[in-house]
Amino acid sequence: MSAQARAGLRPETEGKIFRPRRTLWGDVWHRLRRNRPAMVGLVIIGLMYFTAIFAPLIAPYEYDKIDLENVRAGPSREHLLGTDELGRDVFSRIVWAARSAAFVSITVTSFGLALGTFFGALAGYLGGWVDTLIMRLGDVLFAFPGLLFVFFIAATIKPGLIAWVKAIGLRELARSGYVDYLVVIIALGLVGWPGLARLIRGQLLSLKRRDYILAAQATGVPTWRIMWRHLLPNAMPPVIVAVSGGIGGVILSEATLSFLGIGLQPPNPSWGAMLFQYYGYWRTELWPLLFIPAAVLVAIVLAFNFLGDGLNEALNPQLD
Amino acid sequence: MSDNNILLDVQDLKMYFPITQGLIIQRHVGDIKAVDGISFSIKKGETLGLVGESGCGKSTTGRAILQLYRPTGGHVFFKGDDLTKLKGEALRRKRRQMQMIFQDPYASLNPRMTVGNIISEPLEVHNIYRTKAERQERVQELLRVVGLNPYFVNRYPHEFSGGQRQRIGVARALAVNPEFIVCDEPISALDVSIQAQIINLLEDLQAEFNLTYLFIAHDLSVVRHISDRVAVMYLGKLAELADRDELYNNPLHPYTQALLSAVPIPDPVIEEKRQRIILEGDVPSPANPPTGCNFSTRCPRVMDICKEVDPEFRDLGGDHWVACHLY
Repeated sequence: MSAQARAGLRPETEGKIFRPRRTLWGDVWHRLRRNRPAMVGLVIIGLMYFTAIFAPLIAPYEYDKIDLENVRAGPSREHLLGTDELGRDVFSRIVWAARSAAFVSITVTSFGLALGTFFGALAGYLGGWVDTLIMRLGDVLFAFPGLLFVFFIAATIKPGLIAWVKAIGLRELARSGYVDYLVVIIALGLVGWPGLARLIRGQLLSLKRRDYILAAQATGVPTWRIMWRHLLPNAMPPVIVAVSGGIGGVILSEATLSFLGIGLQPPNPSWGAMLFQYYGYWRTELWPLLFIPAAVLVAIVLAFNFLGDGLNEALNPQLD
Repeated sequence: MSDNNILLDVQDLKMYFPITQGLIIQRHVGDIKAVDGISFSIKKGETLGLVGESGCGKSTTGRAILQLYRPTGGHVFFKGDDLTKLKGEALRRKRRQMQMIFQDPYASLNPRMTVGNIISEPLEVHNIYRTKAERQERVQELLRVVGLNPYFVNRYPHEFSGGQRQRIGVARALAVNPEFIVCDEPISALDVSIQAQIINLLEDLQAEFNLTYLFIAHDLSVVRHISDRVAVMYLGKLAELADRDELYNNPLHPYTQALLSAVPIPDPVIEEKRQRIILEGDVPSPANPPTGCNFSTRCPRVMDICKEVDPEFRDLGGDHWVACHLY
């Protein structure tokens, strides 16, 4: 008797009944697709990034195009959402601001994710005093009220950053509004990483005691490969959830900074800055303008939260 | 030991896990003595069964032998080399000759890797084949050897049953052609009907590839079936070690006797007469084992000396080793 027959299997017939081929990520997508709020969120998010990429084609005017003939105009064929006190097209500014939001959200999230993954993986895998050092540093950052700390960083690094940019010979850049983007990205990124580091560390602490990690060690898989092939891919699901919810938070934080005047400076387009600008109109006949950037912000932040919830359910099916 | 048939020789192996206190400065306040000085050897091609109740240190022994935990003390000689002295790359290369099969087939396979990648990883990290095609061929061959359909390579572990997953685990262990495999309760998480299949598979593979097993289990009848020799462990120490039939027919240590008296006999007439020895009390904590013989707190035949002197683990003749003052 062959080993297979003795073991009670007939390999020739086994496996003839296949269920539809699906990878793990395929399963996730399948579950996510049935979650309506998450799909609506995904569409809104897609629309926002699409708008951001094709802003020059979508927006009828430049974001800083001043048309003094048409100041404070109501909605018309030329100006879909009317104009502000400088005659700038509100619709165009909303569209261009999507570009600011998209740029800031992607760079801040990547920055935070890189720092968080690096420190979290180091702390979780090495443990000991490295872990203690990194986590206590994170705790110190956590101890400050989040936004206040962002204001503090944004306000303190800006003069230094401008001086530095000038010093390395980029005078043009120093004078342009792009330095504001750098300030916002650095401030939000520095404050954002401890949460992710903590998450990834916690994941690694629980994962590194799993049998399949032990199995990899027993097999003689090198440490870096265990990290990349075994630990990080399995630590990803909660990170994906946290990041998708977090992007909405980053966009909101950028808007907050710009609203308070320490983020993106005029004439850079930002929904937060627009809120601040239109805030002054609320007693005038232009008051409806206030609701336009507000509605866009609410829709986008909600979209990211719905997507985050949907991903959470799709990646952890036992939650249902 | 001069017998050059010996593949693995464990001498006075100790594995203590430190207990620490304190938030920032960790003070060392004690040790969990999971394995506390055990010695045995395994011959080439042999299966040594290691039995004992939960928490007695069986699995820790297996992991300490493979250096997954670095032992606190003692030596593990594998084909003459002391594994406890090996480090880094030298140890990693040595791992090609010794593998492990795990208890829980649901936890021991990476859920994000396909079966093909799981089985070919050992081949990759040890550079056994040059091309991907050669590896792929070997993976399919291994799947066939363990009784799985070779077309399963692109599937994920969650698509399989417990028994099938355990076969995948066996295939992974076999991939690098090891000489020695630690089977850490490879069947206790499986259904009884599947247990027999896996046991048969392990036996067939042993015959085919001349494997040596350390078979860790708590099911006494399974151990009797598969082992050549059996070691009984209690609270981090070996109580008794003997040839399989000798141990089951003539158990000497009171703990072994109690353990064997718990096995039901599949004959109602004899089963009727079976006398169970019920042990009093619980297993003491391995952080604070009793002085003298570690079984003295529960032993039905305890003497005064047992509470003071730790009995030596010695050969009573005929390779029947026991740690007890009665003999």
